Amino acid sequence: MQQSHKIFIKPNMKMFDLINDNYSLLLLLEHFEIDFAVDDKSIEQICEENKIDKNFFIIIANLYNGFFPQRDDLERLNNVQDIIFFLKNSHRFYKNDKYPEIKKYIEVLKEKHHTKDIIEIERFFNEYFNEVLEHLDYEDRIAFPYFKQLYDKSECSVNGEFSVDDYQEHHTDIETKLTDLKHLLLKHIKIDGDLTIRRKFLNSLFGLEFDLKIHSMIEELILLPIVRKLEKLNG
Amino acid sequence: MDKQRKNIAIIEPSVIVYEGLCNLLMKSLDNSYVYGFNDLMEFEEECETAIFNVVIVNPIAIINKVGSFHKLRKKSQGTTWIALQYTLYEQALIAKFDDVLSIFDDPELFFQKISKSMKQSSTHDKDVEELSDREIEVLEQLVKGFSNKEIANSLNISIHTVISHRKRIVEKTGIKSLPGLTIFAISKNIISMDASSL
Repeated sequence: MQQSHKIFIKPNMKMFDLINDNYSLLLLLEHFEIDFAVDDKSIEQICEENKIDKNFFIIIANLYNGFFPQRDDLERLNNVQDIIFFLKNSHRFYKNDKYPEIKKYIEVLKEKHHTKDIIEIERFFNEYFNEVLEHLDYEDRIAFPYFKQLYDKSECSVNGEFSVDDYQEHHTDIETKLTDLKHLLLKHIKIDGDLTIRRKFLNSLFGLEFDLKIHSMIEELILLPIVRKLEKLNG
Repeated sequence: MDKQRKNIAIIEPSVIVYEGLCNLLMKSLDNSYVYGFNDLMEFEEECETAIFNVVIVNPIAIINKVGSFHKLRKKSQGTTWIALQYTLYEQALIAKFDDVLSIFDDPELFFQKISKSMKQSSTHDKDVEELSDREIEVLEQLVKGFSNKEIANSLNISIHTVISHRKRIVEKTGIKSLPGLTIFAISKNIISMDASSL
């Protein structure tokens, strides 16, 4: 889906130019553990130096730029390990960076505005964060090992616990609650002053929402179809 | 998606045509967002969560997919479907749309047709953010933990009516989850903090 007028990424383009066009690609680089000192290098060079599948990198980068992957691009992907590597790094980002950051903003707001609304927002957020942690934990403990085993064709020890439907439902729930928080903060809850903290808080929420959306898309559009293919092959 | 903003979808495989249309639309329509899709399938995936006022379609996208197209039309009741014509198609195919735009049309005529469609599809837009008394009653019971059936019995209305009220509450507030609605209710003093079932 093309909504923004961002560049459609190709292998010979320079990473610097692409970052200039869309700086959220910095997050992408971090999830791939690629250093930001990209010099004048092309995507192709950077992938080679960092031993990353060029096709996979470009598909994800285009997602960050608002372009959905096409069927033939996806056919060329089958390495589950690369995808899980990226997703696991995203998990670390959510757990150790984004959520603590947002939690801190709420705490600061609570200190200065001890109203019932803020207390409820904190409660809502804590419950929501716990749900997310459970989902991430489910992926790390059950889903990802299962996918790895399918790919390696090794003995299955987590058989039967994985469910595609549950997996997709989690994503929807998490996105819904984040959207609800935005609506509450921008429409319904009145807080006096402290615009700076509230701006940082909302910016964090929007940033989180963006990365989470891409994270879900990678799982649903890229990872799950490969898993289904592998399940069929393994009989 | 914001209900006051107009959303236009264009299902067109040619990036050149899409960019051209997009540019024209953005230049003259206030408060409209334009989204592009390569084919019907891409649109179907996104359509789960999006509501479009107008969808402009290159008829080539629905050839051999007429069944899916009909399903989509049924699902999106307030949407106007416009065929974008730049070559000849069977009249029967074009007739499946609400209107036709030709790329040889004068831009003025083009805008008129789109604006007309958007006005028609916004009859649901009452621009009322406030909940009605009945909706407040339903919301109160909902966040106290009652089921649709219990609410229906308590207010002497059908379950179907309860569900309609719930939909309107979600539309008006933008909040879908029960915990979220609970915060809304507390913030508007519809219930007190201890009465919530959190």
